[in-house]
Amino acid sequence: MKSSFFLALAAGALLSGCNKSGESSDQLRIAVIPKGTTHIYWKSVEAGAMKAADELGVKVTFIGPQREDDRSQQIDLVKNQSLQNDAVVLAPLDAVALRDAAKEVADKGKPVVIIDSSLADGSAFIASYVATDNVECGRIGARAIAASIGEKGKVAMLRYMQGSASTEQREQGFLEEIAKYPGIEVVSSEQFAGATASDAQNTATNLVTRLTEGGEMTVQGIFCSNQTSTYGMLQALRGKNLAGKVKFVGVDCDATFIDALKKGEMQGTVLQDPVNMGYLGVKTAVSKLKGETVEAVIDTGATLVTPDNLADPKIDALVKTQLQ
Amino acid sequence: MRLKSLLALLGPFIALLVVYALFGVRNPAMFTEDVLLNILTQTVIVGTAAIGMTLIIISGGIDLSVGSMIALCGVVGATLVTKEISPPVVFLATVGFGGLCGLLNGGLSTKLKLMPFIVTLGTMQVFRGAGKVATNGTPVNLPFDVTAYKPWMGGAGIPWGVWLMVVLAILFTLILRYTRFGRHVFAVGSNEQTATLCGVNVTRTKLLVYVIGGALAGLAAVMNMAKSSQGDPTTAMGWELDIIAAVVIGGASLSGGVGTVLGTIIGALLMTTIRTGCVLNGIPTPWTEIITGTIIVVAVIIDRLRNRKA
Repeated sequence: MKSSFFLALAAGALLSGCNKSGESSDQLRIAVIPKGTTHIYWKSVEAGAMKAADELGVKVTFIGPQREDDRSQQIDLVKNQSLQNDAVVLAPLDAVALRDAAKEVADKGKPVVIIDSSLADGSAFIASYVATDNVECGRIGARAIAASIGEKGKVAMLRYMQGSASTEQREQGFLEEIAKYPGIEVVSSEQFAGATASDAQNTATNLVTRLTEGGEMTVQGIFCSNQTSTYGMLQALRGKNLAGKVKFVGVDCDATFIDALKKGEMQGTVLQDPVNMGYLGVKTAVSKLKGETVEAVIDTGATLVTPDNLADPKIDALVKTQLQ
Repeated sequence: MRLKSLLALLGPFIALLVVYALFGVRNPAMFTEDVLLNILTQTVIVGTAAIGMTLIIISGGIDLSVGSMIALCGVVGATLVTKEISPPVVFLATVGFGGLCGLLNGGLSTKLKLMPFIVTLGTMQVFRGAGKVATNGTPVNLPFDVTAYKPWMGGAGIPWGVWLMVVLAILFTLILRYTRFGRHVFAVGSNEQTATLCGVNVTRTKLLVYVIGGALAGLAAVMNMAKSSQGDPTTAMGWELDIIAAVVIGGASLSGGVGTVLGTIIGALLMTTIRTGCVLNGIPTPWTEIITGTIIVVAVIIDRLRNRKA
């Protein structure tokens, strides 16, 4: 009896601690729900969202699930956040799993803007889809690989995770574009790296082992479709002293990739513009709330960064938005 | 006694050989030195933490927080490295920090007489959250010019981490078999009341077991940091289940009193072998999960059948 009283007291104290926002009630409130909060990528989305919040005078809540494959927690977040916000900007972890939750919010008359990854069969109810053209992102990667290996040879692709629409589209774009080169053969594209860098490194090490014969790699090019898989692959290649001996193109960015580009261990990485994505996501949601018409699909752009264009001021500025 | 424990190891060991051979027949690359090294190296982290878990499970406890502990200790270790602290101190501090986490688990479950399952279910979230708070949710990258940790999980020849795991496995096998503390761990796990009546200090034994478990998780965290050159607060998600599975495949009983360190290492090797074999044979990832799960269940069924006959 006594203990349950203390428990209630403690719970109450915790709750009141979390809930000390005393914002004015007429300010528009937007919830931005990313796939996760660990990657630098999502920090950049947050920076863009906050920039829009400052410019437009709205209140943005940025809150994501603890791990990038916890669909159920993200569904709960969408439901909870929609109760206390006027619009939801969502990067769905899964194209199908998040559909019902998003539709429920839209049916209540609150705009849902989808960013980063698409939602299956959502065009009827979502306000807008603000994202990198991911198929194009994969195509850019394919063209970079093809150019670096002289348009002939064997290549491998390490996928990211099942059910993640954005990376699946990149992988699809890569395979479609690479198929246009008659001299290039894809020898492996069936492995998924997994949700954390450490898991990705295991998968990548095993894959590299399979593709190595007598200390030489049997493939000339490798493509990875996001930050985690690219990081894991880079660590795996370095661990086997094969970094630089195979042409390697990834997607996304961190300080390690820039270092690898400078050392010639990577020939390119395809950068999205997450700051712009967060910014346009919030901005589109606000336009929709104000009754303005918004585009159904907004492309935030993808850029290939190579050792040659690193010094370009425009590229440098884009890279800086994605490093800590 | 010795014969019986050897027989108990035989089941998992045969399973390991059969699985290894089956993959090897499909792709002879499995038998190369490179792949063997991969399997050994990829077992180090789970294996090291699983040695501690073996002691905990033998004593009748469980630690669900070990994955989060590895992540949190990794963050602590990587932060120390960025502050240019020398490697021996980083090792000691990280292992010590792990020991403190273990002490918290052990203290809560013994002094307050709470179920370790519930205590560590809670601390699992606490440690995970603490790691994220400390780093603001982003991984702490080691500076590029730090190479002191590389030989532990990579480089030419057998990585030091593999030797570390081997030495620890031998050390704790000896401790469990020949020291008074080792006997007490089994006594506490078999029957706590009897152990108390026989004059065993149950509380102290359990505390020490959790501290050792935490310290080894700290060591596993340093290995994980050496491997991926970062302290990532979201790493090792779900590894507690791999670690517990390794202990159980190795013949330990979740009700306590039974288990061997050697069996645990074999269990950990079995899981890595399956994962490596699947990639080498081009088996798509979802099948890897099905195969791993099935083998865990089959290993346990065989073990139980064998015990019933004995």
